[in-house]
Amino acid sequence: MDTVIDQLPKSVDAAAALPACVNGLPNFEFPSIDTPSAFLRAFTDDASNPDVPIKPQHGTTTLAFKFQGGIIVAVDSRASAGSWIASQKVKKVLEINPFMLGTMAGGAADCQFWERWLGSQCRLYELRNKKRISVSAASKILANVTYHYKGSGLSMGTMVCGYSEKNNTLEPEIYYVDSDGSRVAGQLFSVGSGQTFAYGVLDQGYDYNLSVEDALTLGKRAIIAATHRDAYSGNSCNLYHLKPTGWVYHGNYDAAAEIWRLKEAEGSFNDIRTK
Amino acid sequence: MSGYDRALSVFSPDGHVFQVEYALEAVKRGTCAVGVKGRDVVVLGCERRSALKLHDPRTTPSKLCAVDDHITLCFAGLNADARVLVDRARLEAQNHRINLADPASVEYITKHIAGLQQRYTQSGGVRPFGISTLIGGFDPQSDKPNLYHTEPSGIFSSWKANAIGRSSKTVHELLDKLWEEDMDEQKTVELAVKSLLEVVQTGNQNIEVAVLRPNKEMEVLADDYLDEIVRRIEDEKAKEAEEKQSRRRHDD
Amino acid sequence: MDILLGIRTQNEVLLITSRSLARGISVLKSDDVKVLECNKHTALAFSGEPGDTTNFVEFIRANVRLYGFQNKQELTTHAVASYARKELATSLRSRKPYQVNILVAGHNGTPELHWIDYLGTNVTLPYAAHGYASYYVLSTLDRWWTETLTLEEGLELARKCIDELEKRMPIDFKGCNIHVVDQNGVRLHE
Repeated sequence: MDTVIDQLPKSVDAAAALPACVNGLPNFEFPSIDTPSAFLRAFTDDASNPDVPIKPQHGTTTLAFKFQGGIIVAVDSRASAGSWIASQKVKKVLEINPFMLGTMAGGAADCQFWERWLGSQCRLYELRNKKRISVSAASKILANVTYHYKGSGLSMGTMVCGYSEKNNTLEPEIYYVDSDGSRVAGQLFSVGSGQTFAYGVLDQGYDYNLSVEDALTLGKRAIIAATHRDAYSGNSCNLYHLKPTGWVYHGNYDAAAEIWRLKEAEGSFNDIRTK
Repeated sequence: MSGYDRALSVFSPDGHVFQVEYALEAVKRGTCAVGVKGRDVVVLGCERRSALKLHDPRTTPSKLCAVDDHITLCFAGLNADARVLVDRARLEAQNHRINLADPASVEYITKHIAGLQQRYTQSGGVRPFGISTLIGGFDPQSDKPNLYHTEPSGIFSSWKANAIGRSSKTVHELLDKLWEEDMDEQKTVELAVKSLLEVVQTGNQNIEVAVLRPNKEMEVLADDYLDEIVRRIEDEKAKEAEEKQSRRRHDD
Repeated sequence: MDILLGIRTQNEVLLITSRSLARGISVLKSDDVKVLECNKHTALAFSGEPGDTTNFVEFIRANVRLYGFQNKQELTTHAVASYARKELATSLRSRKPYQVNILVAGHNGTPELHWIDYLGTNVTLPYAAHGYASYYVLSTLDRWWTETLTLEEGLELARKCIDELEKRMPIDFKGCNIHVVDQNGVRLHE
């Protein structure tokens, strides 16, 4: 008994099994430094040193929810590096393939790189297995990577959204995956520094039986709400609708214009005084 | 010795890899195994290893190996080689669950096993696996039956019914004749048993049969239930033979 | 702040786990399940560092299942607990230790409950708790637990504990799941 149990960890070893995906390399690559996270902090933490050479993008609001008509994905478009707005038109929805979307919060580079990588893994799966990968499996691939890099400075909070075949029908799925290695299935998520503000509107307006039009409006409205209150979120909102036939892009909406429009139409945003 | 089977993974001038062909020979000498697909069932059966009088069958491992809850494998050829291959397949099944959060499909495991077999025909210092396998099962949440066959060369293929090992040719002919579309479970089991009885002379006690159903673990048929089926088939055969004889008498 | 309770009754083990899953200041989910069926008669309840938890228990389950297939003999609850403890103990001295606390509940003829923490402590107990919850309900369990609890009495005691936690815990843990492990296996109660 003892010897068999001794051998067990060597048998199923996720760490050893994974790299086969990455060009068949025998091991995960780590930078050749002692503690990657400390190294990264020294170069990127502008809270302790305003002159750091690298300032990764951080603040964000992203959200996704399931409803009767599929999945709505909505995000803002601001990239901030410290107090500096690095870009006003970032694409925070990453199109993994025509049926799957990933959202981006945290380090822009980390999200972009790993979700692109995930896209290639999904395509390889398709070619090898002659069927589309499930959202569950795709999100698991991503979570395995973030888990293996846990503690070395990755920063991502992402939602992998799409349709998967289950019992011969296509069903919508959303998985929250972050750089802790968490992977959580759910109905409705919001991620990023503006998440609390988005939740505040989203939760109160949410109903599974929402029409497609109302759901799109709600998704957009929640992002606009967050752009108003969260200094690190803003500029504009990108809207997507996921259907069994794939995703549909529903346009980019300027946050400021939307706020003025909504103020007029809804009688909301009364903290903004015009007189 | 032609000299081309000294180093294992070397072609002969006319394009043969002898070691692979010898492995196929080992398969042909192995005990027989059959697999039959029904409408919503897969039946795998095999000859039980010849039990000597003092042999304790309780401690002899079965040739029907569960790879995962939903995939079962049986083989013909060198038992010791099979043990290694089956263990690798089981490991891969669990790794698949860890890495993709889903159970592996039957085809995936088949490809993995065939891939492994192929690697052992092209690497130095190793010898091919002396086994062919039949892999049966159902993909998760699916009621489509799957039956695959792999060979020492690394070839894999999908079948409605197939036999490997000793006298597989005879069995194959029988399956060819008797297999039909849309068989229910009982009919499928009977066909599998019937085809095994072509090979096993001593009858009931020397076969093993597993029934695989959608979303369920495999069921290895109990001895007395199997006895019943065997008896029924043998009775039928006897009756047929008698009828034939009486007809012949009649003709005379 | 996750709640993990285990109560052994005469013929079964109850696992009580909180349903809230929080990250940062937000509750991401209020129907989370923190129990994993390891093999037919053994369940693991888990809490600790996000990421570590699921990865650790899935790893344990994979190897326990593998053992079952390789040996045509399922590991006993005791063996699963020993194996999990050993993995935690080796991990503790590694570069990146698993920060996971677990309860192992099982039924091999008799009900059995193991309390295992991330340091690799493994104790067999009649009732056990991890985290802040233990400060509230261990006394409750000390007061009302007896060797001869029926399932109904066990569930009632579980109710008592959840009531107490709802009353005194400073956070809303969104209610609890109760898993029952008995001779028929693992099931979610209600």
